[in-house]
Amino acid sequence: MDIENTKAQMRKGILEYCILSVLSRNSCYASDIIKELKEAEVIVVEGTLYPLLTRQKNAGLLSYRWEESPQGPPRKYYELTDTGRSYLSELDNSWQELVGSVNRIRTR
Amino acid sequence: MKITVSINIGGYSFNIDEDAYSELKIYLKSLELHFSGEESSTEILSDIEARMAELFRARLAAYKQVITIEDVMEVMAILGTPEDMSDNEGPSAREKFSSPGYHRMYRDPDHRIIGGVCSGMAAYWNIDPVIVRIIFVVLAFGGIGVLLYLILYIAIPEAKTTAQKIEMHGEPVNIHNIKDSVKDEFNRVRKNMKI
Repeated sequence: MDIENTKAQMRKGILEYCILSVLSRNSCYASDIIKELKEAEVIVVEGTLYPLLTRQKNAGLLSYRWEESPQGPPRKYYELTDTGRSYLSELDNSWQELVGSVNRIRTR
Repeated sequence: MKITVSINIGGYSFNIDEDAYSELKIYLKSLELHFSGEESSTEILSDIEARMAELFRARLAAYKQVITIEDVMEVMAILGTPEDMSDNEGPSAREKFSSPGYHRMYRDPDHRIIGGVCSGMAAYWNIDPVIVRIIFVVLAFGGIGVLLYLILYIAIPEAKTTAQKIEMHGEPVNIHNIKDSVKDEFNRVRKNMKI
């Protein structure tokens, strides 16, 4: 058993949920999402985010639009779709359940 | 004094030191290989490149106009290696290619005379392409060579990616092969430019 590996596995599990949560507040482009996830210390390397974003987009949870940026090429802004919102609220519930379960066990 | 190369990443143009360039190229190829099993691999790669451009731009200033190997190392550490990015989801490139001797016939665009059919066949059977070419020329006088060539040209796909070029030779695709093949390519370009 490797503690770093276990921690990484835990982070991976919640990353998808965190991305959707960030986007539920407002639409962002990838670097904004990275900034939030880094501050919250849920990602270590940035590259992890991009395959997840694309997969969520392909699954219909996210959509994106191109927006002009003050400097340089246009940026890809992601936002939640309706499917994404209901998906997120389900994840919200299951997160609460998980936290509840873990706490029950830990405080027994 | 160092030679610099001019490259385009995510729509920005950068001047980059030669050693930094070859390191970056190997990195991008290894990402390409890693995501090759993914449905939207080109999209993921261009998103990563866009971010890379942003990170490089943050490292340049009026008195620092060239990307150095240190910059590349830093950016690679921020973005992470393909192993760091894998998340046990989606078919990984390793599963797809790693069986030793994954072997397919491709047209070889790097050593072609016409369409790379002969050189591709030669690479597949590991023989000298001259032999295959002579056979085709002889067949052409017999009347079926040209038609046969056309059919094969249409039927055999071109080896476009580095992974495909390695498969063409029947070698397992892994990061070491990718590195060798990128270095070969790089040296070939250098030789052509007579640096």
